[in-house]
Amino acid sequence: MTFILLRLTFYLAAFLVAASINFALPRLMPGDPIDIMLSQAEGRISPEVRDRMAETFGFVDKPLYQEYLTYLASVLTWDLGISIKFYPLPVAEVLGRALPWTVFLAGTAALLAFILGSWLGINAAWRRGSRFDAFISPAALTLQSIPAVVVALILLFVFGVTLRWLPTGYAYAPALDPALDFTFVGSALYHAVMPLTTLILTSFGAYLITMRNNMVGQLGEDHVMMATAKGLGDRQVRYRYAARNALLPSITAFALTLGHVLGGSLVTEVVFNYPGLGNLLYLGVIARDYPLIQGQLLIMTLAILAANLIVDLIYVLLDPRLRRG
Amino acid sequence: MKKTVARLIAAVAAAMSPAAYAESVLNALPLQLTAWVENYNPYNPVTRLPSVQDFMFEPLFVFNTMQNAEPSFRLATGFAYSDDLKSLTVSLRDDVTWSDGEPFDANDVKFTYDMLKEHRALDLRNVWDLIEDVTIVDDHTVRFDLQQPNSGIAYTIAQVYVVPEHIWGAVDDPATFTNAPNPVGSGPLTEIRRFTPQEYIQCRNPRYWDADTLAVDCIRFPQIADNNQALVAAAAGELDWFGSFLPDIDKTYVAHDPEHHRYWFPPGSLVFFAMNFEAANEGNRKAFNDLAFRRAFSMAMDREAMVDIAGYGYPTINEYPSGLGRAFDDWNNPKVDENYGAFSRYDAEAARAALATAGYADRNGDGFVETPDGDPIAFDILAPNGWTDWVNSVQIAVEGLRDVGIDAKVATPESPLWQERLVSGDFDVSINAHITGPDPFVQFDGILHSRNQGRTRYAPSRYRNPDLDQLLDGFYATADRAEQKKIMNDIQMAIAADLPYVAVYNNPRWYQYNTRRFEGFFDADNPGAVPTVHDGQPERLLQLLALTPRT
Repeated sequence: MTFILLRLTFYLAAFLVAASINFALPRLMPGDPIDIMLSQAEGRISPEVRDRMAETFGFVDKPLYQEYLTYLASVLTWDLGISIKFYPLPVAEVLGRALPWTVFLAGTAALLAFILGSWLGINAAWRRGSRFDAFISPAALTLQSIPAVVVALILLFVFGVTLRWLPTGYAYAPALDPALDFTFVGSALYHAVMPLTTLILTSFGAYLITMRNNMVGQLGEDHVMMATAKGLGDRQVRYRYAARNALLPSITAFALTLGHVLGGSLVTEVVFNYPGLGNLLYLGVIARDYPLIQGQLLIMTLAILAANLIVDLIYVLLDPRLRRG
Repeated sequence: MKKTVARLIAAVAAAMSPAAYAESVLNALPLQLTAWVENYNPYNPVTRLPSVQDFMFEPLFVFNTMQNAEPSFRLATGFAYSDDLKSLTVSLRDDVTWSDGEPFDANDVKFTYDMLKEHRALDLRNVWDLIEDVTIVDDHTVRFDLQQPNSGIAYTIAQVYVVPEHIWGAVDDPATFTNAPNPVGSGPLTEIRRFTPQEYIQCRNPRYWDADTLAVDCIRFPQIADNNQALVAAAAGELDWFGSFLPDIDKTYVAHDPEHHRYWFPPGSLVFFAMNFEAANEGNRKAFNDLAFRRAFSMAMDREAMVDIAGYGYPTINEYPSGLGRAFDDWNNPKVDENYGAFSRYDAEAARAALATAGYADRNGDGFVETPDGDPIAFDILAPNGWTDWVNSVQIAVEGLRDVGIDAKVATPESPLWQERLVSGDFDVSINAHITGPDPFVQFDGILHSRNQGRTRYAPSRYRNPDLDQLLDGFYATADRAEQKKIMNDIQMAIAADLPYVAVYNNPRWYQYNTRRFEGFFDADNPGAVPTVHDGQPERLLQLLALTPRT
């Protein structure tokens, strides 16, 4: 109990520190939102018009500490403000529209990469030294090292432009409206094929290698030898004895990745014009849209901290050795 | 189950039955961005949708730059200057109504101008710097009283979009008013059929006064985020009217459908190099203020390479000593080229010789010249990050300068920072551009008049020449074309003699089109008007009215 309370206090403190950094970071970047907005308007704006626009958007020069206090208050009341780039939409609405798409894309990709990578890793370890292992392990490492942007562009060019098998952008066909029917869901899945493939290809390698290494470690253990000696079948020993223990570090890695899911896979979303949180953050940074950046960073911070907390708790649950300690 | 089957049958039946009236929907891409936001306020310079001006709100008249700035009358039927050029009387068209049925009249015009006066944040054209008052003469006649005699005021008034008094009169803060969700307009397309962040469709105004000329029923605006996405959509034939930078356009766009995929790049804004006459570094400042140095700089510019390599051959070279540009060749003063033409052509040898004659020499052995007083000269040439054709042009410029012994380097700050630095004066040299107007006055005044120096990004040099100011001020003080031609000759001579900026080429007007579904697009054989689809180009209204669906 004390353990949980201590962890909670720690996470609360971490959150406050992260929130403060979230406030400072965007403001450290040179340039301010009004100038950037007006630069898009080809700059035929006189300084007087600019000043009046700044007033309208509430960008009068307030002392920094006042802005900081307003920011802290808004964080606690969850009033994220109005976006500058997508004026007059409130930040919560802008983020809310993008959130489901990122959760869908990055979440599904993380899950599938985990399952695929782990399963391949288990088999690679079981058949270590074989041709399968000799091929899949280096291949996975190579794919892991290729930047997501390269994979995304290659897929886009080959399947989207040259072969025209898959759509080149959007989360769903623009002519449709979001609804829970076959046409929309089908369109969403069809448009998700390439982004999902990109993300899976560039992330399953890590799970594979981790799993393989843990498995190899497990295979030397006594209880596995005993299981084989008892005469249990190949698959039984592989999954119920070895893999089950080897899975622990992988699961924690997976849980931590889930925390990063809400950061959005920025590059993939930009390449495929996917309306997710990563794309929004990218736009917000370019436009110095402070409310939007702050809101997005806040969500990311919360997600990562929550994932960390959950992992802490899961570990206690999954590993009986920790319960005693 | 029954319901699903019934729905399925209905869907199939609907798909199979012939449409009673086939609508023509044009796919246009006037702006690349990541999500559409509903904002139908023509006075919001940043977040308004790109189809609000000209298509939803019609101008009083449109000046056709390709036809010698001839006015095409839209909501107005004519205008007349008073003899002393201190007032302009505009006659409004009789049978115009707003899309909700209310009549359009002089009250709307006066209301709009008064609104701009009260909320100066909306006065994007700074029209109240030029006019004194707006008076209603009668229901369909308005008179503008001017502060100074100004024969060019019509050009400014053409860019002020009249809004309906019966809607906007009730608005508290017109600057933040989004005019959504049911905007009332006067232009050809006012009805919003569908709006999502990924696309929106704007359709015919049911009460458009010129409905017989309009053959396009709707325009569909897909959301496309950047040049790559635009290229993909264009190559697949999904866009009808757009204007994006497509590298190697013959291969990447035209080759996919040579019969229908077309483009045309008439010369547009003037691209030039600006030097900061108040630069912080002493050596740079002395050099920039020395005419001989500026001439050497200009002769070190390989303009052809910039056009062919940096611009893929799309821009139009500009070797006019005054920076006039080929589009305004009718205004050209041939004596200018006789006297100063040599300084605007690429000649590395001549540049080196000019520097040597003026006393620039490399005394400290670093390979680059110093000023006659011995101050070192070294500067960065700024280009906005990501504007690849400009960045490459600056690279070519730097190569040329280093070749003749001037220490220059490329720097690429982010676009908004670049603009900030130009306005604040925190730069040495930068590439820059100015839009062209109905006559060369717009670019010369915008770049070189002393009242603009340091106020906008277009006049960053801090160049002040009272004689030139006087000539420029006199241009619109007369309405006599011959008199104006004489003044423009003098202006060109004054600029060429002093070479305050180095013109290199005219940007292409980005314009691509697809004739598979529509025809009537303007091109080199049929230059009806400037055909670009972007916001800020009112002549696009004329292009829209010239389009017809192919049967």
